[in-house]
Formats: sequence, structure tokens, C-alpha cells
Amino acid sequence: MANKVAIVGIGQTYHKSNRPDVNMPEMVGEAVRAALEDADMNIKDIEATFHANMETFEGIYMPDHIMAAEMGGFGKPGLKVATGGTSGGSAVCEGFYMVASGLQDVVMVVGYEKQDCGDTTAAITAALVPSWSKGAATGAIGEFAKQALSYMETSGAKEEHAAMVRLKADKGACRNPYAHLKLGLTSIDQVLESGYLVWPLRFLDFCPQSCGACVLILASEEKAKKITKKPVWLADVEVVHQEPFRAGTFGDPTGTETYTQHVACENIYKRNGITNVRRDIDLAEIYEPSNWEEMNLYEHFHFCEKGEGWKLIEKGVTEMDGEFPVNPSGGVIATNPIGATPIIRVAEAALQIRGDAGEHQATRDVKTALASALGGPNWTTLALLKREM
Amino acid sequence: MAKEPEYIIVNIDTPRKYNWSTGKYLGHVYAEAKENKKLVGNKCPKCKAIMWGPTIVCPKCKVETGWEWEELPETGTVTQYTYLVFPLWDPHYGERWANPHPSGTILLENGVYQRHFLEETDPEKLKVGMRVQAVWKEDYDERGLGMQDVPYYRTIEE
Repeated sequence: MANKVAIVGIGQTYHKSNRPDVNMPEMVGEAVRAALEDADMNIKDIEATFHANMETFEGIYMPDHIMAAEMGGFGKPGLKVATGGTSGGSAVCEGFYMVASGLQDVVMVVGYEKQDCGDTTAAITAALVPSWSKGAATGAIGEFAKQALSYMETSGAKEEHAAMVRLKADKGACRNPYAHLKLGLTSIDQVLESGYLVWPLRFLDFCPQSCGACVLILASEEKAKKITKKPVWLADVEVVHQEPFRAGTFGDPTGTETYTQHVACENIYKRNGITNVRRDIDLAEIYEPSNWEEMNLYEHFHFCEKGEGWKLIEKGVTEMDGEFPVNPSGGVIATNPIGATPIIRVAEAALQIRGDAGEHQATRDVKTALASALGGPNWTTLALLKREM
Repeated sequence: MAKEPEYIIVNIDTPRKYNWSTGKYLGHVYAEAKENKKLVGNKCPKCKAIMWGPTIVCPKCKVETGWEWEELPETGTVTQYTYLVFPLWDPHYGERWANPHPSGTILLENGVYQRHFLEETDPEKLKVGMRVQAVWKEDYDERGLGMQDVPYYRTIEE
């Protein structure tokens, strides 16, 4: 049986397209200091550091070696992971494994991306077999465009529903001091007036490229009780990887592909006795790179039946004041510093459980929350968080 | 009033070249495309699925696939497509450009999915369910780029 693991410190930077005022270690340092301040701890109290970043996105290889000082990692154990969009989620799992195993008592999980340094889409395209990708050059966006088309054709969702997802996200982002895109949108038409990026995805259907960092401090039960009065328990984590899809990476019109989201959530729900997701979980922070993928993920994670994701957004179920809030932070379509993004999902879910989300605190009381990450050829990581355990 | 800080940005513009080994299985695909104008996938001995691109191990059955090859059909049905409206950065060309050819997912007659470009560039004429056929580079000397020896799939009337 694993030892209990608590989130005892949370810190993030504000997120922007460009941060010419800092280099990568300095930006990471801002989030490290914020997390230490939140936990009222000194960097010397941290035993190990786990670090998430997709290095090719900045064009700098092995960024961990220039980061050791700002992360307080000198002379300590640590690992870096780069699993695409799930990097931050994988790092949360690494931290969880270390504390749950009893090998370490207090660890730090760091994620960041400084996308003004490089070109993320170019790097994603270069992640494919070179001869396969030559000339494709759509990175993740093209795959989510195909997903949007398949979702439209199979579920009956309209562009208006995707626009509702952006409106919901923007409402949250405008209340979240750390969010990147704060557009102040007031109507669906404003979203539908934005031009096409990669058809049928519009500019406002997709996430921005953000610079930013997020840090969590994880501790064993004994340490957590000394550090904070409000520990949030990281009850369980799950990672599922996938071969490159054949039929369509994020939207499969054939129903023949195995989705990692299904495998991952079915595993974690089973282990934790979750049989009715919207009854047993109070809130979710999910990794939705596009408006359309959010509705798709509602279905994959069994928040609703297949083909009914768009009905949840239409009925307002997933609004901040809804029955089952999803991404009250504004989510990934408002803020996407890739290596940090999955850690922000866990951080935001933890803030909701602590009741510390401020202006974007969900109306309902949040005792249990799910955080997800998505990346690579549709890989999934999940984290289940609880107030009581 | 305090002076605005000046930020220094260093532009690093070093090209990063690499040589990529196809390996034995994908090398066979390159050779068949170049010599015989055929796209080939290998077969899982257990589930009989055609691996495209070829793999040494069937990801689902987790058994070695072996050296049994099957030619991919030339025709198929479009199940998904998208096209670039806003030019994106392309590392292979070193510039920002919009490929005029839509990117499609094509279900071939034998159940294999082919992710490739479509010749048709008029958005009005694109639709899910349209039938397409592989177009080959006819000049032997121009071939040698594996799947790229088929630059795109052309709409066919049936």
C-alpha cells in the first residue's frame, strides 16, 4: 500500500506570449519562490526535484543543467521528463511515486515552457518520422482540426457549442490573475467572427503559446501535517501511453481506436470506487488544447454519454457555478505554457479544494477533483485529488 | 519617470542538420516505392492487421510482426480533412508557408488508414466520404522519399 501524498505548496508565474524580461531559469525561479512562500518553506527543505519541459520547443537541449540553481536542485536527486503535452503530468507522477514509496518525504515538481524562445509547432512537426511529416507542418493544430470535423459530423455539435466553451473559459480566465488570454468576450458571435486558423478551427478555438512556470511541493503525511493546515491529498495518479494513431489522433470517426483517456480514467475510477463520475467527483481541470476537444474529453472521461459533450456546455453544467465545474481557471485554451500546463491543472484543482481559488472559486464545495493531461500521439495522465483521505 | 528597461534578445540562427536512418522495415517501404511504385505495410501474424507505417512489433498484440508484406490499395475514402488557412512555420522548408493541399485521413480498401495530402484545393469540393486515388511521381529519379513518392491523393469519380 502506498504512503499518503499531500500537495503542500503551490506556485505559478503569470503567463504571457513573451517574457523578454527573464531567461528560462529566472522565470522558473519566480514559480519556485511562489511555491516555497505558499508552503512557508526554505529550498533547503526540498529533498528532490522533478522537472518537466519539452526542450525542443525552446531550441535549448538539456535545460535542466542551467536550471539547477533556480530549482534548488544542486547536489540533490532529480529527473527531467519530456513526454510532450503530458510532461508536467508525468512529473507529478514522478513526485507522487517518490513520496508514496517512502523514498523521499518532500519533493518539488517543476514545469515550464518559454515559447518565445523557439517555435513549438516546428518542433512538434519534427517529432514525426522525417519523411512522413515533410510538408505537413500543422503540428498539433491540424490534428485537432480533424478532431473538430469528426466531432461535428458524429455528435451533431455546432460551431456555436465550441464558441460556448471559449466563452466559459474566458469568463474564468478574466477572473484568474495568472491566466494568459483574457479577452472579455460577451457573446458567441465574437468567437464565430474570429478567422480560421486551420479549418475548421478558428483562432479563438485554439490555445495560445504561453511562457510560464508552475511548481508543486509534495510531502508525506507526517511532513504535510507540520507544513500546512490545508493539505490537499494526491489520492492517485495514472499514466497511459499509445502508439501513433492510424485512424485519427484525437477524433476517430471509425470507433476502432483505443483511447488512452478511456483506459486511464477507467483504471483510476475503478481503483477509487468512482462509479458515477459527476456524483463522485466535484470538479475537473482538464487539458483541452481546443474548444472542440473539451467537449470530446467530457465524453472520454465519462462526464456524460458518448455524443453528448456539447449538451453539457449548452446546459451550463460545466460552468464555474454549474453542477460539475470544468476548468474554472480558464483552462488550456486560455493559458498553455506546455511543460507547466498539466501541473497548472493539478495546482488549480488543489486551489479549488483548499478554497483558495479567489475570484474563480467554483460555487459548489469541491472535496474531490480530477486533473488530466494530454499529449504526444494522444497520451493521458490523470491525478485524483481529495480534501479528506 | 523611470526609464523603460531595455531587454536584450540574442537571435541564434544555427541550422541543425541530421541524418535519419530508415531502419530495415521502413527501408523496405522506401525501396518498394522507389523501384516498384508500391506502398507496402507488414502484417501482424496474430491479428493480421497491416502495419502502416511498418513496425517490428504489433503494438496491440505485442508480438514480432515478421517479414510478410502486403501492398496498400491505391484507392480509398476520405474520413477526415483539414487545410491551413494561416501559414505555419515548417522546419523542413525553413519558412512560413501554407501548404495548399489539405491534409486528410484516408480509409483504404483493406481497412488501413493513410494520413496524407489531397490534391483538391477547392474547399467547396472537399467532403467526408469523397473517393481518392494515389498519384505517383512517374520519374524514377524523383522517387526515393518513401511515402512522399506519392505527393497526394486525387479525387476520383465512380
